[in-house]
Amino acid sequence: MEDRPTDGADSEEISEGFLCCVCLELLYKPIVLHCGHISCFWCVHRSMSGRYESHCPICRHSYSHFPAICQMLHFLLLKMYPVAYKIRENEILEQEKKSGYFSPQFDAHVCGLHSSQELSQLGNPAHYSTTISQSNTCSDETIVLQKNCNGKLEVTRSVAVEEKNLPQYNPNGNCKQVSIANVLCAACKQLLFQPAVLNCGHVYCATCIVSPANEVLRCQVCQALHPTGFPKVCLEFDHFLEDKFPKQYSVRKDAVKIQQVHFQHESSTIRSTKASERGVNLSSEFIGEILSWWSHHGSKAHFGVGCDSCGMLPIIGDRYKCKDCVEAIGFDLCGDCYNTCSKLPGRFNQQHTPEHKFQLLRSSHDVMLSQVTVQLEGGSSENSENSSPPSIFPGDSQENAENDLAASISSNDTLEYEHD
Amino acid sequence: MVDFARVQKELQECNRDVEVSGIKVSPKADKLTHLIGTIPGPLGTPYEGGTFEIDIQLPDGYPFEPPRMQFSTKVWHPNISSQSGAICLDILKDQWSPALTLKTALLSVQALLSAPQPDDPQDAVVAQQYLREYQTFVSTARYWTEAFAKTSSLGVEEKVQKLVEMGFPEALVRSTLEVVGGDENLALEKLCTV
Repeated sequence: MEDRPTDGADSEEISEGFLCCVCLELLYKPIVLHCGHISCFWCVHRSMSGRYESHCPICRHSYSHFPAICQMLHFLLLKMYPVAYKIRENEILEQEKKSGYFSPQFDAHVCGLHSSQELSQLGNPAHYSTTISQSNTCSDETIVLQKNCNGKLEVTRSVAVEEKNLPQYNPNGNCKQVSIANVLCAACKQLLFQPAVLNCGHVYCATCIVSPANEVLRCQVCQALHPTGFPKVCLEFDHFLEDKFPKQYSVRKDAVKIQQVHFQHESSTIRSTKASERGVNLSSEFIGEILSWWSHHGSKAHFGVGCDSCGMLPIIGDRYKCKDCVEAIGFDLCGDCYNTCSKLPGRFNQQHTPEHKFQLLRSSHDVMLSQVTVQLEGGSSENSENSSPPSIFPGDSQENAENDLAASISSNDTLEYEHD
Repeated sequence: MVDFARVQKELQECNRDVEVSGIKVSPKADKLTHLIGTIPGPLGTPYEGGTFEIDIQLPDGYPFEPPRMQFSTKVWHPNISSQSGAICLDILKDQWSPALTLKTALLSVQALLSAPQPDDPQDAVVAQQYLREYQTFVSTARYWTEAFAKTSSLGVEEKVQKLVEMGFPEALVRSTLEVVGGDENLALEKLCTV
């Protein structure tokens, strides 16, 4: 390990916007929630409910998916406050060792052009590491999600060590210098303007987030679904960009202005249609109403168990539990992520591989009811759209009622047409 | 496990601007799980001029669970039990958020003193009085403030002097004050019964 000047911590004056609202320390492995508020990985995880939908500590905005760490902010903070961030890393690592639960590791961060290719070549054969190349997004960053304490990781390890000796970590170098290349939009490749962060942790200008009409928002980089409409602008990040790059920011501001009007119009319509898109989506009409949430999802929820791909917590509906992951926290997927064969690494540094076997679990309540339903339906498919048989699923009856409503509306429509 | 680093930070933060806010938090014992908060009675209310102590216990899950707060100074208020000092305030229960701090929670308690919610009472007797005989409520609350919330504003020497002036021997006054923990009213009561 390198010796780092510890007296540097005092000289790093941490902007108030980068203090976590929960632990009141420098943000570590920051997560940006759907409402645009930032908190540390563990602070978000610990403030999530696990039993029903969770609420933002600051604005109480409800959400149901544990977002992935925003790696852009992570590396930005590491660059700006190398000493303080390192101290935080050590503190958290200590706590993680005690608890036995680990956060994802992003050991290697390479800015050089050639090294990014080298890394992805080296990273791919390594059995237990997943390499996500972001070269097509922000400059040429390559991030290796390295699994902890495993002897098979020598290759990636050596790269990580080598990387630590790069000039950017040299206190004499420009290690604190954040350049525009570090804060580019994943879509337009320009300086971020009003940055918004998706559930997968990728950052876009709010105006650059587009999705085809009537489809769920999907990240262009990693193709992960963003479960709840359009994310709000991360204001702290936005203020930082405006302070740091005033000239370029105002240029971007002017350029975006015209699109902005269009965007607001569009987003409001899409948001309303999207709210009811996914079954797992806890739409805004249920905000703060735990009881109605319960009647809707309670019988299908796996309390305290989250999906390691999309982050849904608790998992509602089918739960697939990995039988081969040995970590204390386990590895689980929700039905959607299991069916789309998600290849994302676990949220807690699990050493999950595609070869692992899954076991389908249903919430005990659900199992009991489904057995009865199967008897009633005589084994017919659950998803028969028309003439739904009498169902005793609380959630299903709701859905059926909605279907009936939709049917009656459409029949009204046809009636009107006949009148015309 | 209580996040002691955060509690420590909160204490520093809160006591830094104690002159401005008047809100103080200090540890009760060596452990940081048991604290005492002090809030001044809001101006323009029957609690004006009083200094109110609040007993704070931090549960294991703090800051992900709300701190347990109750008044240790007796208060006459619809949302505070006149017997136990228990506080009826949503942010100390289901509306707690880990982004709140001891200071913001105490500020909310102070705001509760200014704006009683008699429709959601903790103490039904006080709430009834508040709704039916408002003037009586005000004078009772003011009397309680005078009687219970102003003792700590005097220094020990002043208390001694006051009681000596009443005709009690100084040595007895000092020992009695010590026994009752510095409360001059309790001391007076005790001195009179001796």
